[in-house]
This record gives sequence, C-alpha cells and structure tokens, in this order.
Amino acid sequence: MNYQGILNSEELKIEKLLNLFLNARVSGDVSSEAVGEHLDDDTISAFVEGDLNREESVPVIKHLVDCSFCRNVTAELVKLDLHFADEPVVESVIEEVPSKITQVLNGILAKIFGNNDGAVFAHQEPENESDDEEESKTEKT
Amino acid sequence: MTPESTLHSDLFRECESQIDEIFARCNESAPNFGITHECLRSSLHRTIRKFAARHPGGKPSAGDVKEFLAQIHTEDLFLALGCAGGNERAWWEFDQQHRNYLERVARHLARTDVDAEEVVDTVYVELYGTRVVDGERVSKFATYSGRGSLRGWLRTVIWHSLVDLHRASHAEVSLDEMTENVGEGHAHSNFAETDLGGEDQMVDHISRKRYRKATVSSIEKAFGSLESHEKLLLLYYHVEDLKLREIARLVENPSSPLRNWFQRKSATRDKNPGSRIHESTIMRWLEKCYSKILQIFRDELSSTHSLTKDEVDICLELATQDLASTSFYRNLSTT
Repeated sequence: MNYQGILNSEELKIEKLLNLFLNARVSGDVSSEAVGEHLDDDTISAFVEGDLNREESVPVIKHLVDCSFCRNVTAELVKLDLHFADEPVVESVIEEVPSKITQVLNGILAKIFGNNDGAVFAHQEPENESDDEEESKTEKT
Repeated sequence: MTPESTLHSDLFRECESQIDEIFARCNESAPNFGITHECLRSSLHRTIRKFAARHPGGKPSAGDVKEFLAQIHTEDLFLALGCAGGNERAWWEFDQQHRNYLERVARHLARTDVDAEEVVDTVYVELYGTRVVDGERVSKFATYSGRGSLRGWLRTVIWHSLVDLHRASHAEVSLDEMTENVGEGHAHSNFAETDLGGEDQMVDHISRKRYRKATVSSIEKAFGSLESHEKLLLLYYHVEDLKLREIARLVENPSSPLRNWFQRKSATRDKNPGSRIHESTIMRWLEKCYSKILQIFRDELSSTHSLTKDEVDICLELATQDLASTSFYRNLSTT
C-alpha cells in the first residue's frame, strides 16, 4: 500500500521498506498455529465495534498482531461493516401470523440433509394446549 | 470454596440489583420470549466470569463490573437467549429483524447465490443447534454474550461459516490460505504472492549483502519495539490493506481503546470526546509510527551494526532500490 500523506523522503523510504517487511513477515514463518487459540466470535465482533474496554483489549490486540487469521477476519469484518453502514436497515415483511420457526428450520434441514426429519429438534413449543385440555375433559366425561 | 469463586460470589452479589433492573427492562419490552430471571442472570454471570478472568490480576472491582454490565447490549442478549431456548416468538423476531441482513452479507461475501443461500441455511441450523448434550440442545446463540451488537456477532458467524464451507470443499487447503480466498482477501493474497521481478544482479556483492542483512535485522528490531496498538495499525494498513476510512471506522466508537491509545489528551478532546475520527487523523497516527520506526532503525544500524551515518543512508537507499527484487523479498521472508 502506498502512503499518500506528507512524509519526508526518509520516511517514505522507511514506509516502503516496512510495507515489504510486514508482508514478507506474514507470508513467512508466522503461522496461526503458533499463537494459540483463535479469538471467539463474541470477542471478535465486540472488538470490531470498539466495545471492548482497555483491559479486555490488551490481550486481544496482542493476539491480532501475531495471528494473521484472526486479524484478517477482523479486517474483513470492518470492510463489511463499512460496506453496509450507509444502507438502511431493512427488515423482512411482517407477517400477520408468525410462521412456525421450526417449520422454517425443518425446511432448511431437509435441503441440507435430504429429508424432513423434525425429530432432530429437541424443543417443540406446545401447540394446542386448549385442544389437549378439551380432549382430556371429554375422556373424563 | 476457591478464592476465585469467592471473588465471583462477591461480585455477583454487588451486581444483583443491576441484573434485576436489566431483566425488568427487557422483560417489559419482550415478555413473550420465555426468558426467566434465572436464565438471564446465569448468562450474565458467565460473562462476568469471563470478564474477570481477562482483567489484569483477575480482580476487577464491583465498579468495573457494574460499568461492564452497563455496556452489555441487553436487548440483543434477551433476544438471543429467547432463540437459544427455542422460543417461537423470539425466533420470529430474529427472522424479521436479521434474515434480510444475513442474506445481504452472505451474498456480498460468497461468490455465487447458491453459496450465499447455503451459508444462510447453515447459519440458521447452527444458531438453532442440532446437537443435544445431556438432554439439552446446544444453540450457537448461547455463546453470544451481548458484549458487541447481535448484528456484529452475526457478521462474524457468517464469516466463519463461509470459511468452513470453503474448507469443506477444499480440505487440503490451510486455514490461513482459506481466509485469503473469502471476501476481499482473495485479491489481496494474489497481490502478496506476485513475483516481484528477476534476480537482482547485485545480490552477490559483499557490501550489499552486509548492508542488507543489517537493514533486515534493524527493521525487524524497530517494528518489534513498537507498542502492540501501533503494530496492529501498521499491519491493518500494510498487510490487510485497510483503507484510512476503514481504520477510522474501526476506531469510530469513542470508547474504543485503540483510539484512546493513539489520541493524546487535549482540552478539545476532553470537551468533545466523541468527535469523529477523520482519515487525516489516521494518517497522522501512521506518520508517528513511521517516524518512530525510522528513529529506531537508524539507531539500530549505527549502534548494533556500527554503521556510519553515510552507511545508514546507503542502507535506506539500497533497501528501497531493492524493493522490486525477488531476492530481497525472499531474504525478508526467511529472516
């Protein structure tokens, strides 16, 4: 990247040398394996939004200096953030009656796994409690 | 009871009323998300533990934790907890508020619409969770703490899903190579790998070798002497190719520590701490880094490598002349 600001000739030279050094450093012997565990999604997104406080940021910034993988993710997320920053937030069309999300998810699973096995969902909202009550009342009588 | 758990118990007790207030506020605006006080409390306690573990010395004060809790995106957290619990209404709200955004981000990142659709589907399944551990479904939402916005967190989840998707189809490619093939990194990696030119005719010249070795060692030392936030700024600009306005965006939040490290204390800033960071400000930060590096670079060449002022100038001159040389590039790479 070429700097466009006001630098004297020596600073310009050091800027160019630094550019070469940093790119070589990254493509050289510094690998993501050498820096331990990658940052979790929660920490990365909070860092990109500037939400981490000073104490939390110290280890995160140190990690980003050494870990090209996490740094690249944060850089791409900043670009994404800026790309969508000027676009108005558009929500989906509000439906009169909420569609059952389990139906939506079952449809997605069917596409991925090739069947519509809703049993994989451990949770199901009770659907017709009143109907069940009616049935039990009928049985009692 | 360990000293750590005693500390946590004390902190939790101090923050109990604040957690009560958060629950009351969130529950009032979204009473049908099916979140119990205990559910929110337990999530916030988990986040406080994580915060305490990262705090220098591991002992934040009650004031630190209260300030930390005040920064949590509580409404987003409440929605995420509702979704983690499988609440229909919470999922409906989530779908209405965020699906459109997820789709646009996925389309922007993925190469084809098919990929984008696949990523969104995968993210939905991951968010809901299909794995059951000890009788409980493991939802990705449970890992969201409210530290950043839900939308920012979703961007990160999408990004990682896309990388995983590519890895699945290119199992032999390393993680680092993979990230370079997603989003704008693709073009960037091609730039980095470009052959910089033919063999330099002067490589064998002894003095050049000597100066070059001293130059590489000194620039390494100079960069290593910088503080972490300065190094990160330079890496974002030179390696990740972030533009000045993108770096400005990163430090836009007035409480961003990265921003506070760079900004000197001034009366103007004290009056208006939230003032916008312009591209020219980032330029000035970079300029300071270059000056600092130049100074250390020169000192290193003259003190450690015993070079005269003229020789130091030759080093700088040679380094910039050699920039287009493959051999110089290789030399730097293997240092």
